[in-house]
Amino acid sequence: MRTASHYARGVPISAAFTRDDDEAARLARRILEAAGAGDAHAEAEFCRQFAPRIRLFGLKRLRSEAAAADLVQDVLMLVLQKLRAGAVHEPERIASFVLGTARQLCIDAQRNGGRRQRLLDSFSLDLEPAATPELHAPDEARLQHCLQALPERERAVLIMTFYDDCPAETLGAQMGLSTGNVRVIRHRGLKHLRDCLVGSGGAT
Amino acid sequence: MTPHVHDSELDSKLLSYWLDELDEAQASEVEEHLFACEGCAARLRELLDLRNAVRAALRDSRFAAVVTPAFVRRLQAAGLRLREYHLQPGGSVPCTFAPTDDFVVSHLHVPLAGVRQVDLVYDDGHSQHRAPHLPFDAAADEVTVIPPVAMLRNLGTATHRMRLFAVTPSSERLLGEYTFNHEPWSST
Repeated sequence: MRTASHYARGVPISAAFTRDDDEAARLARRILEAAGAGDAHAEAEFCRQFAPRIRLFGLKRLRSEAAAADLVQDVLMLVLQKLRAGAVHEPERIASFVLGTARQLCIDAQRNGGRRQRLLDSFSLDLEPAATPELHAPDEARLQHCLQALPERERAVLIMTFYDDCPAETLGAQMGLSTGNVRVIRHRGLKHLRDCLVGSGGAT
Repeated sequence: MTPHVHDSELDSKLLSYWLDELDEAQASEVEEHLFACEGCAARLRELLDLRNAVRAALRDSRFAAVVTPAFVRRLQAAGLRLREYHLQPGGSVPCTFAPTDDFVVSHLHVPLAGVRQVDLVYDDGHSQHRAPHLPFDAAADEVTVIPPVAMLRNLGTATHRMRLFAVTPSSERLLGEYTFNHEPWSST
């Protein structure tokens, strides 16, 4: 199975996609083949796979938990409708299809409030459990220790970055640093914090 | 992939995506990848969990945080309750921390023109802690410190001092000393 590091090390994305895409495509084919009869198990598994990713996309674009949760429901309903109706012609590219749907729905979000309710009214599948992400919150005491152990600059940059999602350019202007310098400090700080949290550093 | 697996390059890329630092083509590529790669999607979720945990940690911090005046304004705009103290070099101030306060903010005013490195020495009367190489904007003529919230919450009557030093490879010079005469909160 490929790992996250494939992406970071510049492996071409098309070459890196294998297992997740294959699994999603297999589920999409099952739903397509079941058509009107429905394949509840495949649909539930499909939702389980894609709901966390749609939620992340929604959080990024809409910066709201509630709006992201709505987006998860809307995208999954539309995609499943298309699959049930046999309207997805390339199941092997289902991930791109889901992403395209999510992008379009974000654009449409302000225009089509009524359409969303009509969709919800006509859909019986319970999509809510799939939208609950797994949490990996670090131990609170360990995090306090690791933040305290960071060099002052790294701690300052991480705190101000994380507190309200402040980009490097903005932070650099406020700290009298270049954007690149902030990114370097942020990168080091995040690495030191990670290392400390897993116990391999103190944090530097 | 398991939580906390070290991959700092990936973290930086995902963080840049999250903070809208990538151009449209790069962001689109990352989005495509996140939709097809559960490992990277999980890594981003984990990064956001860490972000949320750092936010929470600041609210009950056992560490002092040096921030910018702009960050303090953002805290205010977010509706947080701040108790702010402005001190000039050599100055002192009676101070406290109310149960309803979210943060105390110490604005240490100091001329910083030409200064390359600033160190902070925090003296609580029993021990001294030195924080080297503070982040600062020389144009602001201020070092802004959020003292540890967890410490302030339980602090009795005490005098704490902060000293700022301009540091060069061969010497250091005191820029200012700031005295905080703390009393526990009293509503009367």
